[in-house]
Amino acid sequence: MGVDGSYPYIVALWLLPLLGALVLWAFGPQMRRVAGWFGSGVVGLSFVLTVLSWSAGTQNAGGAVGAHQALGSWFAGFHFGLLLDPLSLLWALIITGVGCLIHVYSIGYMDGDGAFARFFAYMNFFVFAMLTLVLSDNFIGLLVGWGLVGLASYFLIGFWFFKPTAVAAARKAFVINVVGDVGIMLAIFLIVANVHSIGFGDAFAAAGSFSSTTLFAICLCLFIGAAAKSAQIPLHTWLPDAMEGPTPVSALIHAATMVTAGVYLIARCAPLWSHNSDAQLLVGTIGGLTAIVGAILGCAQWDIKRILAYSTMSQIGYMIMGVGVGAYEGGVAHFFTHAFFKAQLFLGAGLIIHALANEQDVRRMGGLVKKLPFAFVAMLTGVLAICGIPPFSGFFSKDQVIYGTLQHGHPWLYAVGIVTAGITAYYMCRLLFVTFLGEYRGDVDPSDLGIRHPELAGTPDVHDAHASHGHAPAWIMNVPVAILIVPTVFAGWLMFGGDNSPWARFFAAEFAPSSLPAPAISEGLTAIVALLVVLLGAAVAYVRYGTAAARAGAVARLRDESVRMPALLRNAFYFDAALDLIFVRASQALGTFFSRYVDPHAIDGAVHETAISAGWLGTLTRSFQTGLVRAYAFIIVLGAACFIAYYALVGGTH
Amino acid sequence: MTNMVNGADWAALAPLGIVAVTALVVLLVDLVARDHASRNASIAIGVAGTLVAAFVCARGYGINYAAFGGAFVQGGFSTVFQEIVLAAVLGSLVLFAAIGKETRVAAAVALMLWSACGAMLMAGAASLMTIFLGLELLSLALYCLCGLSDRPTAREAALKYLILSSTASGFMLYGMALLFGASGSVQLSALVAPALAVSPLYWVGSGLFFVGIAFKLSLVPFHTWAPDVYEGAPLPVTAFMSVATKAGTLAVLARFIYAAVPSTIAEKLLLPIWVIAAISMIAGNVGMLAQHDLKRLIAFSGIAQVGYILTALAGGSALGLRYAIYYLVAYAVMNLGAFAIAATLSGDGEEGSRLANYRGLAKRRPLAAALMSVFLIAMAGLPPTAGFLGKILILSSSVSTGYAWLGGVLIAGTAISLYAYAKIVRAMYGRDEHAHPHGAAPAVPLAWASAIICAVVVIVMAFYPLTPSNILPLVR
Repeated sequence: MGVDGSYPYIVALWLLPLLGALVLWAFGPQMRRVAGWFGSGVVGLSFVLTVLSWSAGTQNAGGAVGAHQALGSWFAGFHFGLLLDPLSLLWALIITGVGCLIHVYSIGYMDGDGAFARFFAYMNFFVFAMLTLVLSDNFIGLLVGWGLVGLASYFLIGFWFFKPTAVAAARKAFVINVVGDVGIMLAIFLIVANVHSIGFGDAFAAAGSFSSTTLFAICLCLFIGAAAKSAQIPLHTWLPDAMEGPTPVSALIHAATMVTAGVYLIARCAPLWSHNSDAQLLVGTIGGLTAIVGAILGCAQWDIKRILAYSTMSQIGYMIMGVGVGAYEGGVAHFFTHAFFKAQLFLGAGLIIHALANEQDVRRMGGLVKKLPFAFVAMLTGVLAICGIPPFSGFFSKDQVIYGTLQHGHPWLYAVGIVTAGITAYYMCRLLFVTFLGEYRGDVDPSDLGIRHPELAGTPDVHDAHASHGHAPAWIMNVPVAILIVPTVFAGWLMFGGDNSPWARFFAAEFAPSSLPAPAISEGLTAIVALLVVLLGAAVAYVRYGTAAARAGAVARLRDESVRMPALLRNAFYFDAALDLIFVRASQALGTFFSRYVDPHAIDGAVHETAISAGWLGTLTRSFQTGLVRAYAFIIVLGAACFIAYYALVGGTH
Repeated sequence: MTNMVNGADWAALAPLGIVAVTALVVLLVDLVARDHASRNASIAIGVAGTLVAAFVCARGYGINYAAFGGAFVQGGFSTVFQEIVLAAVLGSLVLFAAIGKETRVAAAVALMLWSACGAMLMAGAASLMTIFLGLELLSLALYCLCGLSDRPTAREAALKYLILSSTASGFMLYGMALLFGASGSVQLSALVAPALAVSPLYWVGSGLFFVGIAFKLSLVPFHTWAPDVYEGAPLPVTAFMSVATKAGTLAVLARFIYAAVPSTIAEKLLLPIWVIAAISMIAGNVGMLAQHDLKRLIAFSGIAQVGYILTALAGGSALGLRYAIYYLVAYAVMNLGAFAIAATLSGDGEEGSRLANYRGLAKRRPLAAALMSVFLIAMAGLPPTAGFLGKILILSSSVSTGYAWLGGVLIAGTAISLYAYAKIVRAMYGRDEHAHPHGAAPAVPLAWASAIICAVVVIVMAFYPLTPSNILPLVR
């Protein structure tokens, strides 16, 4: 899987952000505003190095794709190294490229925050962790990166640690991600036990020799990790809460890069999945389910960032569905375009939130097209891209995923993809219309809009010291958004042209070209069907929120909708409650059981220690009186009886 | 059994002799020295004697000699286990300097050395008689050691241990009698006779023998004593007990498995051992979750860790034995290290084993928190520690010998244990809500040195999976 020899550029582009994080951590407070530029510059430099590595990463020398750099060996089978092949190159480009833009944006967004330098130290650290994840050529390195991005995410969600909600959200994200880490660790144990190596290449070469049970177990464990990191059902509940972090964090970590790590993992382990159709079906189904559930929940949110969070969950569902069924190119293509348009949507939302002094409830917006025309353009292009309107980028990548499910023989998932596309168009247009059209509602009494607890509804005023009402964002925040518009519009064109598209040729050596029979419906026809459904969804949203009549009665309509929201949707299908019931309550019950029957002393201990009497006699009587020694001896005798019974029975039959 | 005992036989016992004589010297010095001086002198003499014994013992590594008519075997396998026991003595002796005044150190040092003699005897025992002799020498000294402190909990622990251990010894002795009846010999080598496979006496005898072994290894359901006794015994004694008892008993069990079981029935005969090993891996790790005291926690952790080691022995492969020894060494080092840290946290009248006192430790004693984290991470089996490599090795061996199901249980147990270990690390690095008043750190250079050495070894071992390669021929 990699060319032997060395390519030290990878080490440089990998370690630069770590260096940046360390410098910012040590000297950040003295650097003041320069800290932001320094942090952005480091990531930018890393991006330049990644671009320069393009030819090395795409070279194809005798079946071995990409550039490789050995880092050291542990012992036989445990070799560590970095690998830059088309897949990791693509991820590295997004991480450093989009990452750099978001860093620059943050200079404006975080201006005036008391912990300005610390923010950039964390962000640089995140970029380093994410690069570790995607550049490693072995499972242990991947796991280390996997854990570190979780840690960085934990720090950044809880960045405003004086908000109890932020701390709770950070903890929740961390706990769920640890569940995923354990899954990956188990998978690594299984792989090493079978292959005696941690290298990707060795594991994939042996994929065909695993028993199907073993392979399914490995894939399942890996997918637990992927599902936790990529917010797939039922481990998705942390993502909406993670919006408690600063908006640039949501854009970089919880939309563009970290949450797509699961997609990367499955695409990277494509040889494992390709050998096990059960695992493919499982992952494809969960992905499809997540896509449609996320989209439905997106229709029921009022917080602009939570709408985007559910849409992220839904879009990653698309990607997972794609890579799950075997349409790796399609899933990865959707990651690529999604990174641009979702980052842009978040940064656009950030412009609004920043301008409205941290207002996040769309019911209290409205009419912003006049106040914030640039934010409108940014959001509009993002919405068109995510809805899949040609020629915007989302159209091409989503089409690849949806058509891929059909190609690989999953008509049900195809239907789910089409329906989800329609729902997506509905809730994204709803967001656009409610936010930008009509009259500004910020001065309407919250209860008239159906907002029950205005003090709890996302108006934290965390750094309003500098964010006065309605002031225009600085150019420094507009420029990154403007740059992002370009790929949001055009990135999909790379995927145009079927097997001869630049996209297909880029990945030709990475994923073996599929020689599947063409499905009954052609790609062009599926695209037209999808487009019609999308237009239908958008039209419904227009009728409900966009027409002149709807705009005039917006206040009453929003209040009605808020009050009449079904409990099922308001509680997000009760996933949180179910997780609480299954894991928290059940483990408490299990703990009670064990402390009562396996380790009785754990409960009695307190009583014991208070009833201390001196001397042997006291000890003697007490030990007997409590019955503990007798109980212990009884258990031992019981165990011995079982032993004797076994040996007498088995020995007697010989 | 009729050949004369010669000089070489006694030479094979030299390490044990040195340890035993050292104990006598400690008691003699205690007679003449003043109270405070005696404390330090006892520890110093004990450490010196142990080091000499370890040196002498190591010289016998290459010698494969069956002394006393085959009752005691020197070299290779025996040497490795004896060295582990001696390491346990060293790691525990130095902790006596750190604990409260109520323990009579000279007596404790002497008893610990004699107890170690028992464990070393078990390591080399190749006959049922020697095994029992070693086991009782180990245990009798330990009963006294547990009760040596004036604290009532210590006496309770000693009494519980005495009663329960005697029960188990009774089972074991009966089993040995049956084995003798079936084979007509006390030599382990006589137990491989294929004819024994059909003897019910042999089967039931083995079962009772295993009950005794399982008790000493504190495998579920014979584990009930361990948490209480570990908690009640003085800290250095717990440290010693958690390593030396298990090392000595594992040596006996390994020798039995590899040298005394007719190969035709090995699978059926040993199945109950693997089953209780599997149960122990789960129950031990679950038991950890509710603990408030480091000593109890390590008792439960030890229950599970022995299960891991047995997973390596299942299948009886040569590699498995090497991996079991590797993991045993790792286990010894991480346990001794954790106890050393607990000793450095001891204050007046209190041992530093209450987990509540670890909250916010990183702020107060950053080095202690960092080292403790290393040991906990090793116990949890995460990289880059010997615990991680050990588990990987064991898993690979379990798969290749056809005991993959035990490997699966090991993985499940590991997953459960992560939470218990992570909880402590998080508490140490979290904020301290209820600030614990604490004085200056007690000056316990020996305990610190022990902890630092253990931490270095735990990490360095992770990169060198060195295991003695010529062990198997020397088992028999």
